[in-house]
This record gives sequence, structure tokens and C-alpha cells, in this order.
Amino acid sequence: MGAEHPKKTSSSRLRSVLTDVHFWVPVAVLLAGLLLLNFMR
Amino acid sequence: MASEAQTLGLSATPTAARAKKLQLLGILSGFTAGAWLGAAEAPTKLVSIGISPIAISLIMVMGVFLARWSLPALILGTSSVRADVRRAPHLIIWAVLAGCLWAVANTLTIFAIRDIGLSIAFPLWNSNSLLGIFWGFLFFNELRQAGWRRWTGVLGGALVMCVGATLLAVASSTQGPAGHSLRGVWAALGAGVLWGTMYIPYRKAYLTGMNPLSFVTFFTFGELGMMSALAIGYTAWGPLWQELSSARGVIFWLLLGGFIWVIGDLFQQYAAKYVGISRGIPLSNSNQLWGLLWGIFVFGELHGRSSSTYAQVIGGSLLMMLGVGAVAFSSASGEEQTRWKEAAQREGRRYGVASDYVEARMDGRQAAGESAPTRTVWDWLLVAAATAVFVVFAAMARVPQLPLHWAPAALLTIALLVLLFVCTLALYRTTRFH
Repeated sequence: MGAEHPKKTSSSRLRSVLTDVHFWVPVAVLLAGLLLLNFMR
Repeated sequence: MASEAQTLGLSATPTAARAKKLQLLGILSGFTAGAWLGAAEAPTKLVSIGISPIAISLIMVMGVFLARWSLPALILGTSSVRADVRRAPHLIIWAVLAGCLWAVANTLTIFAIRDIGLSIAFPLWNSNSLLGIFWGFLFFNELRQAGWRRWTGVLGGALVMCVGATLLAVASSTQGPAGHSLRGVWAALGAGVLWGTMYIPYRKAYLTGMNPLSFVTFFTFGELGMMSALAIGYTAWGPLWQELSSARGVIFWLLLGGFIWVIGDLFQQYAAKYVGISRGIPLSNSNQLWGLLWGIFVFGELHGRSSSTYAQVIGGSLLMMLGVGAVAFSSASGEEQTRWKEAAQREGRRYGVASDYVEARMDGRQAAGESAPTRTVWDWLLVAAATAVFVVFAAMARVPQLPLHWAPAALLTIALLVLLFVCTLALYRTTRFH
């Protein structure tokens, strides 16, 4: 692992988060959880 | 190049011996996490007045918030948190997201216990460790090239723990289902899915080099923000404030419960870092066993119950211990750890995090050229402010009139402190808390 990765700007970092499937799994689960809570009430 | 890591006596080149040492450290952290997370229930048992579960959760989360800022400030200083954030700022989003998931899951458990009782709800949400294993395998190369023995140890151990947890939950349950059974099942399963998925951000953070002490400081914003929003949404601001004001005599015990919980959670974070979520989470799920020890021996909860209840407790405890042992003896092989490193490289490339930093942190040390963490006057002020809040509420606290068994309480407390001392020393000597 010797090589440096190019430093990212804030916007490209945000883009990396938003295009990461790992991010959308917890987001989808969180939204489903909130819907379930709403149903519980 | 002589790095600070070398001056700290840590090898710059990961070796099999060091990898083994980190695995053992992760397993020890998992055990310690279970003990402290289980003990966090003890102060909450002192709260017997009629305040709503949502308000109890909110007050505990306030204690958690205080601890999540003051402990990292005390251990490494907030300069270390700032340095971590500069290197991997995207992880703030992940930490806040994980905190939100925790708060919603915790609220769902309240509904689950109300609707189907603890004995059915607990095993359902305890399935989170199985989901954690699944996400660890799918996204982070955990258990890849692990061989059937390790697969059997981890998956079998987690399943045996679930069965043991079911027996313990049935034995410790005091109330039966109160109707709305299907709704309660959904709530418990939902909590399990939310908690199981919460480990994705955990692993993401640690594969990209973030220190657990930094991760939790941002995690708690999601936790407190979401919990406050839910509490206000459910109770409305006025009645919630009234409820909090009337509960001021017991706030200290709930804050203390939150504080103890954070100590356990910190060890859980180190377990997730050094043995992955597939092993770290089942190990720390042994908290139920510790919670039951406090309940039975200190609070006399099962006093006068039938012999079948005691048989369930003994059987459940043995199964929990068997499961913990199976997971603990299935530590990652060299091939599997190589796959973890591939996942870390992938994350580093994606988010532009320096590879030497990622590599060093996975090896539990500082990167070359990284300045040693220092505490400033602000850190001490933060610690002093958090302590002052605890002292103020301790002065208002009422000592509940409960029959407690002090000898077992002292023994369990000594066991907790020994585990805290041993694990903290091991973390310090091996990783300097990285």
C-alpha cells in the first residue's frame, strides 16, 4: 500500500459518499425504521 | 525514516505476531464491552418512578453525549479528533448516520417490549449480530477465505448465542405480551435490522483509519439529535420539559447508566476495529449475560421463581458462554486479513485518504509524520464541564429505597474494574488507543 491517493475536494468527497452503495443501504434502513415508528404511533 | 510510531516502540511493518496481538486485543475488547454494556442496566433499575420510556431514553442519551465528548478529550484530547476529521472528513456523515440508526432502533425496542414483552422481543432484535456478519461478509471482505472452521465458529457461535439469549430473555421476563403482537414483532425485527445495519458505518470508519474515539464524538450528534426529535415529536416540548423537571431526582442514575454504557460501547468500537463486525458484535452481545448477573444477584430479580426458570437461566448462560467461546476462537487468518486490507485500500482510493494513514491505523499505530495527540486547556474544560453536570445532578439525586445485595454488587464492580484496567492497559500498550 505504498501509493498516495489524490486528495479530494469537499464536493468530490460528497459525490463519493452519494455514489457509494454502502451509504444508501443504511439510509434506506433508517427511512424504513422511521416509517415503522410512524406506523407504531 | 524514524517515525513517531517507531519512537513509541511500534513496528512500522505489520507482522503476523502483531496481527495476532491485535486480534487478541479485539477479542478482549469484545468481552469487556459485554461486561460494561450489561452493567449499564444497573443504574436504570434504580429508577422506579413513572416517567415515560421515551424520556428515560432521552436522559440516558444525554449522559451518553456527555461521556462521548469528555472521555475522548480525557484519553487523547480533541486535537486527535480534529486531526482524524481533517484526514477523513466524509466519516462525519457516516458517524451521524450511525447515531440516527441507533436512536430509531432504541425507540423501536420500547414499543416492542410494550407489545410483545422482553422474552420475545429480545431474541428478535438480538439477531442484529447475524445481520452484522452478513454485511461484514458482503461489503468488507470479512470471513472471505476464512475456511469452514472459522465460518462454523462465527456463524455457529452467533446462532448459539441467539438461542442462549432467548432462554435468558424468557427466564428474566416478568410481563407477558400486552396485545398488538404482530406490531411488536415488527418493532423488534426493525430494531434488529437497524442495529445490524448500523455496523456498516462502524466498519467503514475503521477501515478508513478513523480512531474509535473520534468516531463516537460525531456518532453522538446523530444519536442525541434523532432522540431529541423523536422525544419532542412524541411528547411535545412542553409536556416533555415538565416530565424532565419532575424526574430531576432520578436524572443522575440515568445519566450514570448512559456513562457506563459509553465505556462499554467504546470497547465495542475497538472490537469492531480489530476483529471486524462479524466477530466483535457477537462478543459484545454477551452483555445480556452480565445484565442478568446484576439482575439476579444484586437486585434479586428471580427470587422465588420456579426451578424451571433457574434451569433456563443456567442453560441460557452456558449457551451464551459457548457461543462467545466459539466466536473468540475463530479469529481471522492471514488470508482473511489480506482481504480486509483490500477492502481498506478500496475505501482509501474512493475517499482519497492517504494510504500510509489507513495502513498505520489498521495496524493500530500512528502514521509516520503524524503528530502525537496532546490535550489542551479546552479538553480539561470539557472534562470539568461534564463532571460538573454529573455532580449537579448527583446532588439532586434521591437514593432509592431498594433492597440491594451489596456483596455481589461489590464483586461485579471489582470484575468490571479489573476488565477495564486490563483492557485499557492492553489498548494503551498495543495501540496507544489508535
